[in-house]
Amino acid sequence: MTVVSEIFHLLLTADLWQATLAASVLLLLPALGGVISERSGVVNIAMEGMMLTGAFFGVVADLAWHNPWAATAVAILAGGAMALIHAVVSIRFRADQIVSGIAINIFAAGLTVFLVNRIYGLQNVGHVSQSELLPNIDIPLLGAIPFVGRVLFQQNVVVYAALILLVLVQLILFRTRLGLRIRAVGEHPQAADTAGINVYLIRYGAVITSGLLCGLAGAFLAIGVSNTFVPNMTDGRGYIALAAMIFGKWTPMGAFVACLIFGLGEAIYANNSTIEVSPYVLSMLPYILVLLVLTGVVGRSIPPAADGIPYVPGTE
Amino acid sequence: MAASPATLPRRGAPWLPDPIRRAGRVLAIPLGSVVFAFFVGGLIVAASGDNPFAAYQGLVCGGFGTFCTGGQIPALQISNTIVYVIPLIMAGVAVALPFRAGLFNIGAEGQFLVGAIACTTIGVKFSGLPAPLLLPLVLVGGMVAGALWAGVAGVLKATIGAHEVVTTIMLNYVAQWLVRFLIVGGPLQLPGGFSVSSPIGSGAQLATILPHDNQLIFGLPSSVYRIHTGLFIALAAAAVYAFLLWRTSLGYEIRAAGQSQRAARYAGVSVRRTIIVTMLIAGAFSGLAGAVQIAGVDHNLTDKYFSDSTGFDAIAVALLGLGSAVGIVLAAILFGALHAGGSVMQSDAGISGSLVQVLQALILFSIAANFLSTIWLRLPRIGHQQPAGQAPAMGTEGAPETGEKGGAGEP
Repeated sequence: MTVVSEIFHLLLTADLWQATLAASVLLLLPALGGVISERSGVVNIAMEGMMLTGAFFGVVADLAWHNPWAATAVAILAGGAMALIHAVVSIRFRADQIVSGIAINIFAAGLTVFLVNRIYGLQNVGHVSQSELLPNIDIPLLGAIPFVGRVLFQQNVVVYAALILLVLVQLILFRTRLGLRIRAVGEHPQAADTAGINVYLIRYGAVITSGLLCGLAGAFLAIGVSNTFVPNMTDGRGYIALAAMIFGKWTPMGAFVACLIFGLGEAIYANNSTIEVSPYVLSMLPYILVLLVLTGVVGRSIPPAADGIPYVPGTE
Repeated sequence: MAASPATLPRRGAPWLPDPIRRAGRVLAIPLGSVVFAFFVGGLIVAASGDNPFAAYQGLVCGGFGTFCTGGQIPALQISNTIVYVIPLIMAGVAVALPFRAGLFNIGAEGQFLVGAIACTTIGVKFSGLPAPLLLPLVLVGGMVAGALWAGVAGVLKATIGAHEVVTTIMLNYVAQWLVRFLIVGGPLQLPGGFSVSSPIGSGAQLATILPHDNQLIFGLPSSVYRIHTGLFIALAAAAVYAFLLWRTSLGYEIRAAGQSQRAARYAGVSVRRTIIVTMLIAGAFSGLAGAVQIAGVDHNLTDKYFSDSTGFDAIAVALLGLGSAVGIVLAAILFGALHAGGSVMQSDAGISGSLVQVLQALILFSIAANFLSTIWLRLPRIGHQQPAGQAPAMGTEGAPETGEKGGAGEP
């Protein structure tokens, strides 16, 4: 069978699209976080670190309490706590948001390994048992629809949550007063401030929300897709999410499309037997795609006007 | 400094000679950041139930060979530290130079990796060439590869305004996976090996500073000391950086573009050209670091390079060194010592070497947020003191007099 015909056949299987959606969601959650944060004017390249922190604390909590729901809550809060650091440093102290983001990523990588060694010794963290993972849920009736049911309604609980969050974030950002305020703060904080919007409050909220979403993604990664914590297990996903955010021109739906493209690539590779490409070449693709997008080949992608600029009241 | 803050004259210590006081002001922020990081890091260690003093003693021992309890040989520890310092200086320059032009080169890591790849490729393919030919070839090859890699980001920035932070992040990952691709089943893989490349020819290797034989130095065979002649390349790189920045017209253009692109344009500087040239030069420095690391230390490309962090450490080095050549060398020594110290801390005090990353992140937070001066500003005004950060602090040699008046004018 040639490579082309095998991929063609793969594209007709529901399993492939189910895997694609699951892989995409792992990128979608941090990408949504990035969209929210950057729409409010705070650059966030720290999704990787926030996700990693969520993954670690999710596993610690699940091993301790044997309850995936409580563990997920812990993971979400841990991601939020990391985001709070980013928020305080870049909003309150007006630090360079890129430096702060890098620091968060290094901090998360160091702290998680430090704590792994402290809590579990130098060897390994241990595995969460099958029954304590975030479950897959088959939705009755809908799940029985051929093809579509398998793809959309026989998924992990986090996938459903992510899809709902996607719609919510899209609606909130573009159809509500809150969304208008977030965007106003990200485009022209001085004007927003004059109009009576609390710039700092909106930015704190947006950055922390991005951390909560990354924490959820970390939980899905560690106690949904996988069942343990491995140092640096996010493996660049936070940065691919950043790429998806730019690819999607800072919109939730656009980011989702990008995540689907990246997820499809991952799923095709995982499910085929004939492609002789090195997996490492495939791993480069998302990053190369974004570079192509940035060159303008696939249309321009322009960030919010005040993205990355600390707000100082009373300045032009 | 027994004097309490209330009795301190304005803007500190007029009894000290001016150069020392000026140096003090310049050093206050980086030193304060390091102290802050070690303090918070100590709290984290203490909170996790370990002894922070044991941790730091291990770090100092591993970094500088002093205060050792495990019988470490000081000379060996210092040699190890310098091996870490060498690439950090060059990569630090690769981050600091674009900073001067108002560009943030997060891509030093990717440029470092392609430099290492180029050095390995050339060193393996032409392994038969004699050293006087091959060694310059691998080093220049690394520089060219790094320059091209960074040049992509430079061109994208200059022509269509693509943010260099985003492009260099993406290029980092492409380079990382390129390393894996090349050495795991790829064209550079050592026949019969896994996850390592073939070794470069002996003509491509940088000499160690100590003779490579079994002669005993400080009780150890001299071959264990890995300190290599790349040290001189690194120091030369720092000198070239300072010269380029302050003694050439290109350096003037870089600084002008960094201060205000519009003003630079009025002064006749082509900002686009400056951006591209700056990135090319920066990439060359980082690529050189990668090439020197292969030529001087490892002699082949291994999976270790996939998780290398030199280019990220370089960001901290450039920031902590305040972008000056001397500062970069000093900051590189600090981070080199931390890296070398991490393993001793782990073996002697049983505290994970990843504490080093935590400390590094804390230094970054602290220097970026400038916590200390902000906290200082928040302190209640003592006497007639002006807050340190708001005074026309830098370079006001006649400070005591003019300052007294300014201070008295304050309510």
